[in-house]
Amino acid sequence: MTKYIAKRILMALLTLFIITFVLFVLIRIMPGNPFPVERMSAEMIAQKRLELGLDKPILEQFADYLKLLASGSFGNGTSLYNGAPIKPILIKCLENSFKIGVLSILFGTVVGMLIGIVAAMHKGKFLDGLCTVISILGVCIPSYVFMIFLQYFFSYKIPFFPYFFDSSRFLFSSIMPALSLSLLAISIIARFTRNEMVEVMNSDYVKLAEAKGLYGWELIRKHILRNALIPIVTVIAPLVVDLLTGAMVIEKIYGINGVGKLMVDAIAGQGVDYNYVLALGIVFSAMYICAMLVLDILYGIIDPRISLTAKDG
Amino acid sequence: MKKFLILTLLTLALFITGCGEDSADNNTLKVMLGSNVVSLDSAQATDLVSFELIADCIDGLTQLDAKGNAIPAIAESYDISEDGKTYTFHLRDANWANGDEVTAEDFVFAWRRHCLESTKYAYIMGAGVANIKNADAVTKKEADPSTLGVSAPNAKTLVVELTAPVSYFPALMTFPAFYPINEKFYNTLAAGTYGTSPETFLSNGAFMLTEYLPGSANIQLKKNDSYWKAENIMLQQLHYQVVSSSDNALTAFKNKTLDLVGIGGNQIASVKGDAELSKNLKIIPTGLLQYLSFNQDPKNHHAGALANVNLRLAISNAIDRESLVNNFVDNGSRATYTAVPLNFAPNAETGKYFAENQQQFSEFVSFDVEKANRFFDAAKAELGQDTFDLEFIYANDGGDTVIKVVQAIKEQIEKNLPGVTLNLQPMPKAEYLDRMTTNSYDIAITNWAPDYDDPMTFLTLWTTEGSEIAEHWSNADYDKIIADCTTGALAANYNARWNAMYDAEKILLENAVIAPLYTNASAYLIDDKAKGVEFHSVAIERVFKNVK
Repeated sequence: MTKYIAKRILMALLTLFIITFVLFVLIRIMPGNPFPVERMSAEMIAQKRLELGLDKPILEQFADYLKLLASGSFGNGTSLYNGAPIKPILIKCLENSFKIGVLSILFGTVVGMLIGIVAAMHKGKFLDGLCTVISILGVCIPSYVFMIFLQYFFSYKIPFFPYFFDSSRFLFSSIMPALSLSLLAISIIARFTRNEMVEVMNSDYVKLAEAKGLYGWELIRKHILRNALIPIVTVIAPLVVDLLTGAMVIEKIYGINGVGKLMVDAIAGQGVDYNYVLALGIVFSAMYICAMLVLDILYGIIDPRISLTAKDG
Repeated sequence: MKKFLILTLLTLALFITGCGEDSADNNTLKVMLGSNVVSLDSAQATDLVSFELIADCIDGLTQLDAKGNAIPAIAESYDISEDGKTYTFHLRDANWANGDEVTAEDFVFAWRRHCLESTKYAYIMGAGVANIKNADAVTKKEADPSTLGVSAPNAKTLVVELTAPVSYFPALMTFPAFYPINEKFYNTLAAGTYGTSPETFLSNGAFMLTEYLPGSANIQLKKNDSYWKAENIMLQQLHYQVVSSSDNALTAFKNKTLDLVGIGGNQIASVKGDAELSKNLKIIPTGLLQYLSFNQDPKNHHAGALANVNLRLAISNAIDRESLVNNFVDNGSRATYTAVPLNFAPNAETGKYFAENQQQFSEFVSFDVEKANRFFDAAKAELGQDTFDLEFIYANDGGDTVIKVVQAIKEQIEKNLPGVTLNLQPMPKAEYLDRMTTNSYDIAITNWAPDYDDPMTFLTLWTTEGSEIAEHWSNADYDKIIADCTTGALAANYNARWNAMYDAEKILLENAVIAPLYTNASAYLIDDKAKGVEFHSVAIERVFKNVK
């Protein structure tokens, strides 16, 4: 098990390194310069590039960047756009996106699984069909469209929720974006739960359990859900990262100071803020890789057979 | 599972019960911002939104009154030496929000720092604008900051030495670059953190920050009780909300979520049709000039057809500017036929704006297809070609209006000058700016807003040095007039300087260095309770401290 985990971690670090390198090079060959100022003279730009070390060969810049990264700061640690330090702002924004993300994961998982269970229990009947329609709609409707819909009806037509995100009423303001964000999670989790459960329900051991007189919630919890859980965990893990890293469009329209909005502003603002885009890219990738790592390890815990084979290999 | 479910439901219930309706709406003004604040550090700020917020919180030596005249702020009075080159400001008793006294040293510190740290606005201290002694040398790090022509003989006296008289100097002091920064407070902060949170930003003005994060979508300010004129400030809270879509802004206004929003040209018609909303509509003229920039570098990658003056004149005269503003911009913007736009730089004696007479240069800028074709025929003969393929670049993230205008211009020019083809090239703003500075475009639609209340804020753009950035045009006579007016013989003679600036503008337009299009207006919806918001066309767009 230890060897298995160590190997996974090593792979994860290598992946992160490659991603960082690719991002670093891509950003630098993108059109546009990072200084978002109209009528800035070539001389001024050259001076700025010199100050920031942007005139050096890319590989040398990358080596410098890695050194700084190893010491825990993103590049020279400031936004190229306004000179403000990146770390505290990134942390604050991550915190905001996290809170909303957690809320939507909670909501998405619970509702998704409930819908899935209900559908599986009523396989082929009306409720199953209804649940399928809901999950198809959830996949089809982009979360921000749903957000605009909620904003229109529940902030404008019936002014109950704030029209823009209000950080002084954080949780209250988070409900609409969290709901919209969880839409996709609900659909995916509902569909997976249903399919997995239907499969497990047809298996011999469940039939045996039923024959032994087990029924209802007890049967679902002990025999069906536990076995159906593995594939569901596979879908939830990347979804979690998706939800935690914020929703670019929703954050932008609802005015949430999260990492999604930060990313949009860094790329599509006036100038391309190399330092921000890189920092966010690295953080996002690190989160994905961590989620996958945790997932691999979780497999071993949920299904001991996986770690056994890993020990052999 | 059951426990988990109950827990979730409980948490959700908690969220929902934990919230009530908005409280204390009185004396709170909620204002829309069209884009993020770049920075509250005046040395980093490059945009009108940032300037507005800095001015909410910090008072400089002077401030603008409702009509745009400079009136005393931190400086109670000032004396000018006979040669007009030395200003002595006498500061009033005023405090920073932490209780420290506002001293002349705070100005000296901020100005020196500005020269060293600012990129875009370092020039405003130097020759051609403020003419402060040694400013350019300090900016280029060729002289010690202590040699900058600003000193504090005592805590309440600030002496500024100029290299040449500057007629608009008191008004220039309303620009954020000239605001003070409390040195003692600044030195307690970690490097680069000044102005990045309420804790790292110290106010001496009408309002102070209560909630702010760089790039944040909502920013909250409250009245600063230690402000020197605190008893006159009625507004208790000022909240800003960044809203990127004007449809969203309009709904938020109808919903009473926001009290002051900017709307786009496409919404004005519907607002006018609404009996209730139309009462709140206000069109505010600005000093922003929208114009076409012609790349005149003969080494330009399209062989520089636009280096030919007749081709440029042909294009400029083939544009129907009235149709642009009435049919496409449609927000109260005004067609402009001068290089210095409308609505700013009033003459000190007559009070009339510099660009008041729009017919002055109609010989060179007008809408006259016949004349345009005469220029075009000359261009064709001189260049020995009948067709011209020109690349027309624009930033596609600047809103619908620019896109509509660009398409209309293409249509007009291709119709009025058969043989010219404009290839529209939309691109992200960052790339667009890069194309302009790296000399790879033919025509670009661009704009410029005045930084200070003098025609020079435009005219200096097209000196040999200034136009190296875009147009690549050079004219010795033009350069000489600008030099004379800024640092030379004419600087001390108000009327002669004023007339010389018209001469310079004439050279500019007879050469069609640019094609002016229109002076922009902003359309706002303003709630009845927001009485006393002041609008300006230079640097600080909106002032809220006199809201009743």
